[in-house]
Amino acid sequence: MSHNSLRWLPAVIVPAVVVAAVIAVPLQAGAAVDLPDRTPEQVLLLVNDSAMSTFSGTVTQSADLGLPSLELGGMGGGAATESSTASAAGALTTALELLSGSHDFRVYVGGENQSRVQIKDRMAERDVIHNGSDVWLYDSSSNESTHLSVPPDVSATAEAKLGELKSQLPTDLSTPSQLAERFLNDLEPSTTVSVGTDARVAGRSVYQLVLTPQATDTLVASVSIAVDAETGLPLQVTVLAEGQSTPALQVGFTAIDFAVPDPALFDFVPPAGATVTEQIVPEMSDSAAGNGAVKHPGDHSAAAGAVPIITGTGWSSIIEVPAAAVPAELGDNPMFDQLTTSVAGGRALTTSLLTVFLASDGRVLAGAVPLARLQAAAE
Amino acid sequence: MSSSDVLTPESAAIPARRGGGWDLLGSEIAVLFRRRRTWAMLVAVALIPVLLAVAVRLSSSTLNPGEGPPFLDRVTQNGLFVGFTAMVVAIPLFLPLTVGVVAGDTIAGEAGLGTLRYLLVAPAGRVRLLLVKYAGAALFCLVATLTLTLSGALIGAALFPVGPVTLLSGDTISVAESLLRSLLVAAYVTVSLLGLAMIGLFISTLTDVPVGAMAATIVVSVVAQILDVIPQLSWLHPWLFSHYWLGFADLLRQPLDLGSFGQNAIVQVGYLAVFGALAYSRFVTKDILS
Repeated sequence: MSHNSLRWLPAVIVPAVVVAAVIAVPLQAGAAVDLPDRTPEQVLLLVNDSAMSTFSGTVTQSADLGLPSLELGGMGGGAATESSTASAAGALTTALELLSGSHDFRVYVGGENQSRVQIKDRMAERDVIHNGSDVWLYDSSSNESTHLSVPPDVSATAEAKLGELKSQLPTDLSTPSQLAERFLNDLEPSTTVSVGTDARVAGRSVYQLVLTPQATDTLVASVSIAVDAETGLPLQVTVLAEGQSTPALQVGFTAIDFAVPDPALFDFVPPAGATVTEQIVPEMSDSAAGNGAVKHPGDHSAAAGAVPIITGTGWSSIIEVPAAAVPAELGDNPMFDQLTTSVAGGRALTTSLLTVFLASDGRVLAGAVPLARLQAAAE
Repeated sequence: MSSSDVLTPESAAIPARRGGGWDLLGSEIAVLFRRRRTWAMLVAVALIPVLLAVAVRLSSSTLNPGEGPPFLDRVTQNGLFVGFTAMVVAIPLFLPLTVGVVAGDTIAGEAGLGTLRYLLVAPAGRVRLLLVKYAGAALFCLVATLTLTLSGALIGAALFPVGPVTLLSGDTISVAESLLRSLLVAAYVTVSLLGLAMIGLFISTLTDVPVGAMAATIVVSVVAQILDVIPQLSWLHPWLFSHYWLGFADLLRQPLDLGSFGQNAIVQVGYLAVFGALAYSRFVTKDILS
């Protein structure tokens, strides 16, 4: 009998070892890191001095904003009907889709003018390739490709404008370093900056720069930026919302390699059989400059007439878009009713981090503040 | 020491086991692939891409991009996509079904036929028999996925034009490289099924009724896939053996992404260890009555 019970030992030990490994390995990855102490200023300087312009890595983005999970972008390609309205609606859908659930990206950066971002969908992929004066978008589920060419003179002006705008404007927020830059530039007396506990991100030791808003009427609880101790490259950005323990928004590398990516990755030729749309970059409006117009291909013309107004300062500022500048398709989008709820004076979209109030007169107000503040501002 | 004169004809190929486990393995494989049931399942697997390709070929309506199973709209332009579409279609149910039949039959089948005790006359027989049985089931996983890949490539080439293949990233690769990627996909799917095969082997040691073990294995694979779509159990998802089954899409990206191949392999190794240990303990303590 005891002989037999000995033979049951493996059946107990092996599962126990496997479970222990499952628990221990992530703990080890997050084991305590002790880096030389630095002040927030020193960490900021580290970011500023970062000369890393070539790298490749995988990025995971997850959002827990309290939005319903929208599985529209990846598989919904077949639903696209007329390309003119579909592109605007598609951009909106993509933006909303990226704000719900989690997504994996692969990012390749080969210097200032070369980058490639791949959004890994289930059995599909969306690519944005920037190479010099060419920007290509490719969506494998619909097999559609869009080409934006930035003419040399425009690109020269853009370069010049980019220099001055870079310090003020939110550029494309697809990589952690750009997102971090945005927040660092927003620093004001309204924010407490501290250095949190050292940690590990993507297998590298990082300093955690924690920004805590002083204002009490904002939904943002804190923003922490993980800065690679060696290269100064921001590797992860985590946004916590008031009264929520899991991050409302997190973008970060899960693996990073500082080797120069294969240059062939940036030479994109649309595949045979793909639908190719040529889009000429419209004249540079200030907001589109330097963006490469990646996120908003060509739909700025409608908004050019009326300029959004920003009220308030710092974390609790509110952006107000006049009725004339709001795209008409917004109301027709079937997602509109699904996402918004009816409130006094209009409809509202509330998330844990951002509130959008659509007043019945057509104006749209948004901010990282409670809904009541937006309603008050709308009056 | 030959006991073959008392064996049933099906197991009659088993020679004296003086040559160690290799003879046993050889005879196990010979028995497995001489069975009509195994051939019927392989033919059925090979028919999946054939059915897909013929249906697309005969249909007059063209699919919009993104309609139907992944890659199906590309098939008319490039026959090499038939294999990928067939793999996506077959992996949730059909391949686990065939693996369940083979793995569920391993021990319980012999027990059911009354041949198990004859296989266990050698002193170190039980562990060796377990390993040989598992090796046979694992080989079947490989043969089934290769059959699907090969049949997909052949029917695709026969019915549709063949040319450079567009990957998910929009980059185009040559026919030769695409065949290489097809083999990688087959390898990925084979690895994906190894965990299930070990679960089947364990279940097979629990019973003397082979049909029960087969059904239970298939049920386990279906249950795992149902759990995988319940969002409230998202913490559990990375540990389900079926979680990375469709992850072979990563092999169709440029540059080649072996990340999910590795994660999938780690999960499968975990299942191999746990259910291998359970199967060992159960089998060496089992009273062999038949």
